[in-house]
Amino acid sequence: MADVTVIGQGTTVRGRISGAVSLEIQGHVDGEISIDGELTIDRDGLVSANVDARVIVVRGAVKGDLVAHDLVSLEAGARVVGDLKAPRIAIAQGALVRGQVQAGGDGSSRKLTSRAQVAKPVARVESVSRVERTARPEVKVAPAARVVPSSLAVARSANGSSGHERKAPPPPVVPVLKKVKGAIAKRK
Amino acid sequence: MAGTVIGSGISIEGEITSDDDLVISGSVRGKVIGKENVTIEQGASVEADVSGSSLTVQGSITGNISAADRVDLQTGARVIGNVRAARFTIADGAQFKGNVDMDV
Repeated sequence: MADVTVIGQGTTVRGRISGAVSLEIQGHVDGEISIDGELTIDRDGLVSANVDARVIVVRGAVKGDLVAHDLVSLEAGARVVGDLKAPRIAIAQGALVRGQVQAGGDGSSRKLTSRAQVAKPVARVESVSRVERTARPEVKVAPAARVVPSSLAVARSANGSSGHERKAPPPPVVPVLKKVKGAIAKRK
Repeated sequence: MAGTVIGSGISIEGEITSDDDLVISGSVRGKVIGKENVTIEQGASVEADVSGSSLTVQGSITGNISAADRVDLQTGARVIGNVRAARFTIADGAQFKGNVDMDV
């Protein structure tokens, strides 16, 4: 029983969590998470932290960068404001992301140098085209338009050959993101 | 199994606040604020002030302990710090150094 770590729904952790085992978050974490195992952020989980783990599975809300040595999987209902970096990245339909996505590559454990630039989606244009050039085979489910929707117009012109991505119109993400930010603030 | 479990491989530096039952088997430095039962299991290492409604200790705590209801130091517990609780037990084999305030 004591091998599994669960931050339950009524629990808030402020500070740094580290370790070599798996972690499940149903409550709130503010700070930093660095584990050598699988991190699951459940539907009710609310994480405001830079996360470093082997596998990261998100069903809840995260504000901060996610760096995995193996896999980042955003499932339906996930809301992430921050950058993603992992050898494999899966973004399911119904998951929201705002930030730079970097899949594939060396899968090194180096952390992203840029922290989550929450309020500056306009500055992300070059990163979008880079992501789509290098990382598309790794992104499993997502319509890439979802990844950085506010920059879609530029991404589309930089990436004219991808027919299926052009079909998806940019979802009205800005109100949704406002909601997410509000939710984080409210819960505090 | 409800509540929060800090497993034996995990270490937390900071503050844990919980409205649920809290079980700590890992290592915590900072502050632990529980509202319900708080269990410090064998092998746990807590360097923090710990509060809760009912506290059961089998591991090691360095820091002050306060409980609304009771504190039980069980065999194998090692506590350095002051204890404030209405009811307080120390089992045979528990180590304790500190003051006790039972709200008399």
